[in-house]
Amino acid sequence: MSPPGANGESTVGSDGPRQKGKANTDTLKVGCIAWVIKDGQPRRAEILSIRDTKSGRQFYCNFDNFNKRLDEWVPVARIDFNQDVEWPNPEKEKQKEGKTKKAPAVSKKQPSKKAQKKVAKREQSVASEEQTPHPWTEFVESQPQVKTPAKTEDAEDKANASLEVGGTPGVGPDEMELDEDETPAERAKKERAQSFSREEEIEKLRTSGSMTQNPAEISRIRNISRVEFGRYVLFPWYFSPYPEAFSQEDCMFICEFCLSYYGDLKSFSRHRQKCTLHHPPGNEIYRDDFVSFFEIDGRRQRTWCRNLCLLSKMFLDHKTLYYDVDPFLFYVMTTRDEHGNHLIGYFSKEKESTDGYNVACILTLPQYQRKGYGRLLIQFSYELSKIEGKLGSPEKPLSDLGLLSYRQYWSENIIEVLLQSSEREEKCTIEGIATTLAMTTQDVEHTLQALKMQVYHKGEHKVVVPEKLIKQREKSKLKQKRIIDPDLIQWKPPVFTASNRTWGW
Amino acid sequence: MATRKVRYKKLSVKTPLPVLREDQIDPTEYESLTNESQIATGVEQAEENEYHLQAVLQGAGVAADKEIPVPPPEESTLSYDALYPQKFQKTCTYIRFSQTVEECIGCMYDMTEDDEAFLKLYNQRRVASAQLSDDDFEKIMEVFEDTAYIKTPFAAVDQTIVSYDEMLHGLHDLDKSKVMPHAKEIYEYWKSQRQALGNRPLHPTLKYELHQENDDLDPYVCFRRREVRLMRKTRQRDVQSAEKLKRLRKELEEGRQLVLASHSRELLKAEMLKTDRAIFEQRAQLKEHKIRLGIKTDDEDLINQKPQKRKAPEAPAVQRPPPPSQIRMPLRPDGRPTEADLAQLADRLAEKENELRADIEKKVQNHSDWNKAHVDLTRGPLSPVVGPRPDLSFRPAKTQYLMTPPASASSASLEEPLPMELDKPENPHTVFKFRGVAQDEKSMENPPVYRRRIGRLNRLWIDRRGLASPPGERSEEQSDQWKYDQSSDDEEDTPMYEVDPFDTRALKFRASVPLPPWMSRTTAPPRQAALPPILPPNLPPNLPPAQLAQLAQPPQQALPRPLSQGQAASS
Ligand SMILES: [Zn+2]
Repeated sequence: MSPPGANGESTVGSDGPRQKGKANTDTLKVGCIAWVIKDGQPRRAEILSIRDTKSGRQFYCNFDNFNKRLDEWVPVARIDFNQDVEWPNPEKEKQKEGKTKKAPAVSKKQPSKKAQKKVAKREQSVASEEQTPHPWTEFVESQPQVKTPAKTEDAEDKANASLEVGGTPGVGPDEMELDEDETPAERAKKERAQSFSREEEIEKLRTSGSMTQNPAEISRIRNISRVEFGRYVLFPWYFSPYPEAFSQEDCMFICEFCLSYYGDLKSFSRHRQKCTLHHPPGNEIYRDDFVSFFEIDGRRQRTWCRNLCLLSKMFLDHKTLYYDVDPFLFYVMTTRDEHGNHLIGYFSKEKESTDGYNVACILTLPQYQRKGYGRLLIQFSYELSKIEGKLGSPEKPLSDLGLLSYRQYWSENIIEVLLQSSEREEKCTIEGIATTLAMTTQDVEHTLQALKMQVYHKGEHKVVVPEKLIKQREKSKLKQKRIIDPDLIQWKPPVFTASNRTWGW
Repeated sequence: MATRKVRYKKLSVKTPLPVLREDQIDPTEYESLTNESQIATGVEQAEENEYHLQAVLQGAGVAADKEIPVPPPEESTLSYDALYPQKFQKTCTYIRFSQTVEECIGCMYDMTEDDEAFLKLYNQRRVASAQLSDDDFEKIMEVFEDTAYIKTPFAAVDQTIVSYDEMLHGLHDLDKSKVMPHAKEIYEYWKSQRQALGNRPLHPTLKYELHQENDDLDPYVCFRRREVRLMRKTRQRDVQSAEKLKRLRKELEEGRQLVLASHSRELLKAEMLKTDRAIFEQRAQLKEHKIRLGIKTDDEDLINQKPQKRKAPEAPAVQRPPPPSQIRMPLRPDGRPTEADLAQLADRLAEKENELRADIEKKVQNHSDWNKAHVDLTRGPLSPVVGPRPDLSFRPAKTQYLMTPPASASSASLEEPLPMELDKPENPHTVFKFRGVAQDEKSMENPPVYRRRIGRLNRLWIDRRGLASPPGERSEEQSDQWKYDQSSDDEEDTPMYEVDPFDTRALKFRASVPLPPWMSRTTAPPRQAALPPILPPNLPPNLPPAQLAQLAQPPQQALPRPLSQGQAASS
């Protein structure tokens, strides 16, 4: 039963033995684990929701060891009913029901005429989605098939791995996090053990900056299917708590400048005639001929920052909007043209972080990903830390994309520092590297270890820079990557008084 | 090659590490310090095994073409230029901007497709001049929605619908001629739309917390208010406490030293007594010997030549520097010379003042010397100063109410002054009045002003100006009453007057003291204790010299004058 994951552990249905048996379209229910075709290969998947459309029944599947952003509505044809289905454990199922009861079911309970009309609309859209499959499914399928990687212990190759990725970050900060990939049963089990500490956590979060993810079942299912945003159509990855009515719409419209949201094209275009914003509503603190940065105060610009959080939640799993935006500053990166400053990405930062974090959430919008903007965002966050005279680190946990982006930024910069001191034939300390880059010593050590550069040789600790990384540095130097010019930053660390702190910023 | 079993030295962040290139070291010679499992990725544990992430992390060499797949965005099919027609004026300097979204949008109601259909039908029935424009329609709807939001915040629950009459108030601000002919009909449309939605706002809104039990589980509830942050222990606070402890420790130490010092003083005293006694006994012996031997000399060697205790010098009144003739002490009646070697305080003060004066004069001279050849060619270089500012930090007293901080406020919030109404134009009738001081028309023109300051020992001083004189009912006998008024604080400074109670002058004086009012007139109210009238000493010119001598010890400079705590608190 070993799933084709990277290493044997599965995240779906790993709570011990389950009852198995054959199922069919009608008996397959929420909580079951079935074999579903994904990217042309069968894969274990948990059924999270079921809906009936004109073209037949569809199942919302979360695939074993796949990120939630790859969850999708699957027609019956892709489910392998020849294989046994794992049934949800009954008493644990009950517990889960108790939990979900209060959250409204997606497709039930339509209170009014108007809403019924919306249902009809939605089913239409479902039908259309059925005819033209979700556009990115093709994209995923067109990707080179990722073979199960051989478990080689070759240090060199591994060291190289994370450098090659041109990812952009999507980092979800979250201290208090329920593992969304767990099965409900597993979660219930954990909950029993952890309920006390979770209450403590929530208590802590009530007054401090971080955000907690909402544990309700409904948030496991993507609620917005399509977003018109500026020149692009975005396909959300995760749940975002936009008004419930929007989950009935086949498309949502978001104003590119004020980030207001509309379920209705007429309303949106009326808004566009009135909206006078052309850039994020704050002070520009950086400008070069490529990008600008704006600093936005969550308290002063509550509406805009809330809108930004709602938008970014669609692409950040671990972000949560449990609490308000007041204790955060938002550093927003834009690109200019004759229409205005277009949002590329942003990072948020606690006005006062007790844990020394210099980034809370960080996101590059999907239409700008894989273009090196993530590195600019990360660099900017460290430039601010340098001005503050502090060592900074992003809030944990990181998302998969966030980890890759940060590792790339860290290793590139650390190798630069190392090679410079190697050329001068100087020794260097971890602390020295950390201070130069405004990184925490833990992050420096983490990177050195991840790249297998920290060695113990002839009775002393040494740093060895692998040949591949040196070549890579030369290659990327030729590429002339864009960087932030610290001299163009016009910024002083904002000062907050005791009463700001006491009265909620 | 033996490194595997060697115990590694601990690696500290301060350890200098030699940096080598891979080709500078034999790869077989070193081994990696780490193994995979030790590295914390910072990714949620349950997600570390994510298929695509692992593929990238473990991918061998060829990782460049491996990416984590994400749903890709698409180009929009909507016309961008139609939706975003406004052009943006680039600025040369960095943008500074503080308007909020609401301020940039204008009318908050945006017409929906339903509204558009309705309005089209509605306008079809009207001549062009009587039609309702989209903008006006939105303005009316905005009023309805806003009024409903304010007046019936729980409309979705209790199903109350604001009546048209209640809406009228909000419509007043709009252009009546354009709006009023349509308002009633639009209201009916608005009402039907609201009812179709279960009396919810027509624009979908975010779900905020309702402080109900299911709030916590509802994923749509977002942006909850954070509770007020508790005061956290900070480094600064620790430093402050440490300072306090240090000070206490120092004070205790000083106390201990004092006790030790007085102990040794007493020991010395005992020693001295012993010595005195020995001297006395020696002298007694000497006397005996002298008597026995019949030596007749002065007994000077038998008594101590005690220095005569100097009488306390008459301290000069502070505000009246003594005339030069008084600097020299007059000869004592007994003819003995004054101790010329002892400098008098008055001498010193006068000397100091002379020095200061000379210094100032010299500086003035210097300054005019510097400016001798200076010709100022600027026109009106400085606007002339119109006299000194009359009321330096004085301000009219008035009652003001301190904000009561909520119970949860920590002390830190009180460290900053709260904005008061100090700058508001004053109302002369609220001027604080001290009781017992008459206010006539004149004083109303020039209301009394007060200045508060903290003096030595944290004493609170209230200086005042522009107070009307108290009524002139004072008799001559009372005119020097100020001399004897002491506030309770000054108890220890109470001057001691040496008076022979049986001196005839004293007897006469006492006989002339009138009965206090409450003894003479039983119906009269007791004297207002709040503030004794304070005036510069009004000396009768023919005061006898003894009383003049007493004047040399004025209780305090007449103004300002300390108030006792109770009185100060009333300001
Ligand atoms: Zn807008």
